[in-house]
Amino acid sequence: MRPISGAVLRPYVCPTCRHGISAGRRRFGSKSDSPDLYDVVCVGGGPAGLGLLAALRASPITSKLKVALIESQDLRKAKAWDLEPNQFSNRVSSLTPSTVSFLRSIGAYDYLDANRVQDYQDMQVWDGQTGSRISFDWSMETSPFEDMRTVATMTENANLVRALLRRIADSGDENLSLFSNATVASIENGSDLKPEGPDLSAWPVLTVKPTGPAAETETPKRIAARLLVGADGINSPVRSFADIPTQGWDYGRHGVVATLALAEPATPPFPASKRTAYQRFLPALGGPIALLPLPDNHATLVWSTTPENAAYLKSLPTPAFLAMVNAAFRLDMTDLTYMMGMQSSSSDSTSHQAELTWRAQHTPLPSQIPPPATAVQTGTVASFPLRFRHAAQYISPRIALVGDAAHVIHPLAGQGLNLGLADVASLSKTIQYAVSHGMDVGDLLTLERYSSERYLPNAKIGGACDLLHKMYNVPGEGPVAWARSLGLGFVDRLPFVKSFLMKNAEGY
Amino acid sequence: MASLRPRTLPLSVRTLRSTLRSTRPSANHFFSTPASTPSTQTPQIRAHSTSSVSADELSHFSALASSWWDPMGHSRILHLMNPLRHEFIASCLAEGTSSPNQSPSSTSTPSTATLNYLDVGCGGGIFAESLARTIPLDPTAPAPTPTLAASMTAIDPSTDLIQMAREHARMDPTVHEHLRTGRFKYLNTTLEDVLAGNVDTPTSAAASTQNPSSPSTQPAPQYDVVTLFEVLEHIDPKTSTPLSFLTNCLRALKPGGWLIGSTISRTLPSFILNQVIAEAPWPIGVVPRGTHEWSKFVNPDEVKGWLQEGLMRAADTGVSRGGSAIAEGMRWKCVGAIYIPGIGWKMVPGSEDWGNYFWAVRKEI
Repeated sequence: MRPISGAVLRPYVCPTCRHGISAGRRRFGSKSDSPDLYDVVCVGGGPAGLGLLAALRASPITSKLKVALIESQDLRKAKAWDLEPNQFSNRVSSLTPSTVSFLRSIGAYDYLDANRVQDYQDMQVWDGQTGSRISFDWSMETSPFEDMRTVATMTENANLVRALLRRIADSGDENLSLFSNATVASIENGSDLKPEGPDLSAWPVLTVKPTGPAAETETPKRIAARLLVGADGINSPVRSFADIPTQGWDYGRHGVVATLALAEPATPPFPASKRTAYQRFLPALGGPIALLPLPDNHATLVWSTTPENAAYLKSLPTPAFLAMVNAAFRLDMTDLTYMMGMQSSSSDSTSHQAELTWRAQHTPLPSQIPPPATAVQTGTVASFPLRFRHAAQYISPRIALVGDAAHVIHPLAGQGLNLGLADVASLSKTIQYAVSHGMDVGDLLTLERYSSERYLPNAKIGGACDLLHKMYNVPGEGPVAWARSLGLGFVDRLPFVKSFLMKNAEGY
Repeated sequence: MASLRPRTLPLSVRTLRSTLRSTRPSANHFFSTPASTPSTQTPQIRAHSTSSVSADELSHFSALASSWWDPMGHSRILHLMNPLRHEFIASCLAEGTSSPNQSPSSTSTPSTATLNYLDVGCGGGIFAESLARTIPLDPTAPAPTPTLAASMTAIDPSTDLIQMAREHARMDPTVHEHLRTGRFKYLNTTLEDVLAGNVDTPTSAAASTQNPSSPSTQPAPQYDVVTLFEVLEHIDPKTSTPLSFLTNCLRALKPGGWLIGSTISRTLPSFILNQVIAEAPWPIGVVPRGTHEWSKFVNPDEVKGWLQEGLMRAADTGVSRGGSAIAEGMRWKCVGAIYIPGIGWKMVPGSEDWGNYFWAVRKEI
């Protein structure tokens, strides 16, 4: 934890700004300047940061708090985001029902473009090595006459960010400052403004610097935070300032994403609105491949695999890429490993498809597989490294970490964004409680409610995803594969265990 | 919480009472003889002149003072109980207040903050500061919380504690602003001086300009809510009477106002909880050894009895009605509170006899 003392300043200065600020501080930041005071300052304008702001603005108890948000991207652009109806961004998340109900409770869900979100009610998960399978659907919980229960709701992150920004905009601009196109040049402890002013020596004071052309004309602003929230991602500057260590490792895997168009299913779903998500573990290739439904027979691909395989997949021409995706849901490990090494060239882009067609004839196909992918949306194939991180603590005096700043987990269960928004739901409730009971929202006694509510669930789900990743990275037949199939088969046959697992996966 | 109150509190209460003795010829007449205290006497002098405080206790207290605001320190359980105080006050005010423009039924229109609070024995200011934080910066704005505070006067006879409380309050700009404007005051003084009008109170500034030459007239009661958290169980029944103490608290109240406090009952479960378990060696115990003396704890019916008597005395002559009528019509609230490790404080109606409880009484309109 950072020392709170006027004498010991341990400022965080972002490396790229260090040069500018050392010259700039003398000009702008004389110690006697009193900074603008805010109740909550949130660094980072992703779904977690914006979600917190929207939640605070939505509650009558906290709507009068003076809040600020600092984001380096252009929030006006994010608010005006638009795509053709049949185009989908490749940054897609699955929202669990509890996340959806949180978004509804803060009045943000209705701002989502409903034509761009897709519920799914069934999830088929199986092991590519052993074939053992577990199907997550709610049919055993509900009668056929009821509405099907949703396992999760797919939405583009951009759609969610836009919805949250519009929700915040509709709450008015009183007591609200959005620093868009701005970075945090430095964070340091404030000073004691004796004798007239308050003692801010335990308050974080941020220097906010505009980026882009405005950087030349606008002077940096100094703002002090009663509570500074780090929603600023895996390399959180707020966490560095608070001196909170973080533990974790890189998985040595990349997630390959793409937006795909699928063929019409061979047998129409019953009931007609039922949609299914598919995930197949591929122990020989380093991780699972998942196909999650988007509207209008589109789907988003997340394929966790080694960096070499990811680079190979990204280098393939479109027909070969599609053949690899379809093969990954159909062929056995030996075939896939072979195809992953095939030479490809743009002149001979059909060789992968030919290989798949030939090999599929000799492979018994599983009963539940996704319809073949027929097209890749241009420019959507991308990859990102997979990591595990967990901050040693989420809070420090006048500091709270949420979302990726606090924890980064393996995406195989699609829980990352949900954990971040669950943090936000908990922190906003904690702030409401504090305000209505005369507590200081930045005080440790306030924040420990948040931390004790979120630390263990996040560690549990992050750990479960890590365990799954490791179990499904043991290739070949053997005790681990045997235990895996026993495990999945066991879970699939015991309704109450499965129902417990599903409830855990969907949140609380 | 009383189970966790550090030894500093008994000190401050004892200081208060010894201060009383040292500055008043007769404890029974302190209210009616305010002129006997020279107005030049400063609170610091008074506090330092209290000879009944042993050097031992002073040093013990000084050591605890630095950890008063430490969320993991000796006062942690006290901090954890603080939100419950707000909830209990809100539940009292929901039944009515002394302010004519506050009606409990007017839930449709948000109330403005109009109530003046007096916190007796504020110590390091855990409750006083938290209530001051709810005072709106704009007095005409709707009250942010159901406690409806417009001002807070917090008194404690200990110079060190008041000094520490003021220092801590400066770390919150909102509270600092209230201190600057006078809506929030920390006074190193006694309840008796407040009653005598020797200190600035919400309305005494205006009163004294009108009639500066007659300091001996009894000022009108100033406060809508008087709070007395974790004070009663530290009064030594051999040398002082809770009755006179409570009577004075009632005298500071406007008609219709609330006197609200919390303390610990003197029963077998409370003995086991507070003396055997809470003061056990680490890791079981949570309070320093010797914090409480079980024999000083007071039961709800004792508090109720003192308050009935106190209400009659506070009504003084009983011009309009008999004292017994006041006692019978007394609005009395009492609810137990239990600390569950790992969960926190919970109000549990009916658990008054187990240990900690909140109590409140409303002064007749």
